[in-house]
Amino acid sequence: MKCSILRNAFLAAVACCMAVGTAQAKDILIGVDVPMTGSLARVGTGTAQGIETAAAVFNAKHDDYTIKLIQIDDESQPAKAVAAVEKLASEGVVAITGGYGSNNVGPASAAANELGLPYITSGAIDSSLTQRGFNTFFRINNAQGYRKAVVGLLETMQVKKVSILYSTKEATTHLAQGAEKALSEKGVTVSMHAFSPGMTSFTSLMNKVRLRDRPDAILMSGYENDYIGILRAARILKPDVKAMVGLWSLATPRMIEDFPKLMQNVYGTASLPYPVNFKTEAGRAFAKQYQALFHITPDYVAEYAFVQARVLFAAVLRAAEAGTLETGGVAKELAKTDMQTMIGRIRFDAKGDNVNFSNNMGQIQGDKIVIVWPDNQASGEMVFPGVPW
Amino acid sequence: MDLILQSLFSGVLQGGSYALIGLGLALVFGTMKVINLAHGELVLLAAYVAYTVESQLHISPLWAIPFALVLVCACSVTVYFLVARIKTDRELNSLILTYGLGVILTNAILLTWSADVHSSTAGWLQSALMVGPLFSMRGKVLFFGVAIVLMAVLWWWLARSWYGRAVRAVSSNRAAAKIMGINPRTTELVSFIVAGILAAFAGVAIYSYGVIEPSAGHVLTIKAFIITVLAGIGSIPGVLIGGFLLGITESLTVTYASSALQELAGMVLFLAVLFVMPNGLFGSRARRG
Repeated sequence: MKCSILRNAFLAAVACCMAVGTAQAKDILIGVDVPMTGSLARVGTGTAQGIETAAAVFNAKHDDYTIKLIQIDDESQPAKAVAAVEKLASEGVVAITGGYGSNNVGPASAAANELGLPYITSGAIDSSLTQRGFNTFFRINNAQGYRKAVVGLLETMQVKKVSILYSTKEATTHLAQGAEKALSEKGVTVSMHAFSPGMTSFTSLMNKVRLRDRPDAILMSGYENDYIGILRAARILKPDVKAMVGLWSLATPRMIEDFPKLMQNVYGTASLPYPVNFKTEAGRAFAKQYQALFHITPDYVAEYAFVQARVLFAAVLRAAEAGTLETGGVAKELAKTDMQTMIGRIRFDAKGDNVNFSNNMGQIQGDKIVIVWPDNQASGEMVFPGVPW
Repeated sequence: MDLILQSLFSGVLQGGSYALIGLGLALVFGTMKVINLAHGELVLLAAYVAYTVESQLHISPLWAIPFALVLVCACSVTVYFLVARIKTDRELNSLILTYGLGVILTNAILLTWSADVHSSTAGWLQSALMVGPLFSMRGKVLFFGVAIVLMAVLWWWLARSWYGRAVRAVSSNRAAAKIMGINPRTTELVSFIVAGILAAFAGVAIYSYGVIEPSAGHVLTIKAFIITVLAGIGSIPGVLIGGFLLGITESLTVTYASSALQELAGMVLFLAVLFVMPNGLFGSRARRG
């Protein structure tokens, strides 16, 4: 009798466990390597928030699999980014997403490749990253897309002389050189001025540009602190230019909030206008989820991160359903990606670059970011000539 | 002509800024033979105080000077008491200690104010000022004047006041100064307090016309160190001349070569001066501290 009770209890317990097992979603660990501190903290935070939003959207839709994110701060340093990847691998992640800055993503993705982990990013556009022959590295944006946007805008402005001020970091240098080549081919006279990443006073450089180059427009290829320094020097010396054009991290709501006067009429790459106005249902769903999670309006950094994570999670799901999650299936599924997203169709070439990436150019007008290039994406009229002084 | 004049003008103003940053380090180096590698972080701390005052109270960052003086001097005094605990090999061990303190300060700044880039939005300080055909930012000219005044006051203090003479005596011969009734510990403490005052002004200046982020501290320390060595140990006029030399060299390099070579030019100047004049520009003859 006692034996029978014990046996029945054991069978009931096993049955309960089995029932629970079938009802529970399977956890899939995804590593997130992002700079939450250091010089890239602002964009790193946006990236992390975009990825978290994508995970929340995925988990709400799928009962059988749950995406669990393990996030590590790489402190905007290459060595810490490599350490983050190694730590994430030891925790059993099946893929890594995030990353910002080509000099951080380069070594981090190399470490991931050695460990056989796919790495997908929207924060590293240096051309050399996709020339390494890795079949685990993917990115949704690239230098060509940024260059096309900047050159397209300057072409629309019909400028004849451009001075390019660029930081000597890899990505900014490659982008500046690419823009120089493209503009020169179109008959534009280009002057190149490299500066060290730590440079704080741009007065002498701006004076040289003002008196020697006398350009129609100044193109800035750098990061936030560089833009602030250059624009400050320009406001003092008032070069006779028609436009101040920058790249990433410039046309953002945060820059408008912090430096409203300095940023007026400045152009920068921006896939979204501000206030955000999503035209698609997917875009509106993203914005709603993002605002629910973080109580702020998303910017393009968060949007890109959301898209990169969504692409990854879709590949992970396919690999999980095919039973290849643990055997390199995620990278193979990522390579097969052909997906419509908020930033357009995403398809990777053999090197992991998104062949369809293109960007827009925005102009800061008052407390708004107006998309002014290309015409089919424009949300308003360009103020041209237009400078912050 | 406009190009070279503007270049020299920008270089002189930048040099004044460098001299203000380097002055505190030079004073402590002169009196205690201690290279305070946390000096840049103390300057940066003052800059963050200015940011807090401006962003929270919505007033000019210049009003932050009293707050910065209190906080930075308190930190400077803490650095002194920690350095004073070193009993052996003070010159070498203080390097390690102050380097560590710099790292702690950087991380404290990071935790308190986050890693975002900050800069003043004060319109008056940011606006352009024309001096004949030359342009500059109003804040930069203002703090150039402040730097000159502070250096003059420090020069007078070292030359004429009792404490100033005591600082020079301790710097010259600690044991002899003690025999003459000077308390070396008090004198060294005073040096650190004065260095804290100078760092507070330098920090508010940097925030008023520049861009700050938590990792900027060590760059400031390097600049201050270069100027201190260029000047010759403890030389106050040397600090000013060293700052001008560095500022003008960098500015001319940007104008006539490449801005990417700016830092390199500064280091070449540093090595060239050391090669020709191993005791720095002003050596030990003109020392006032």
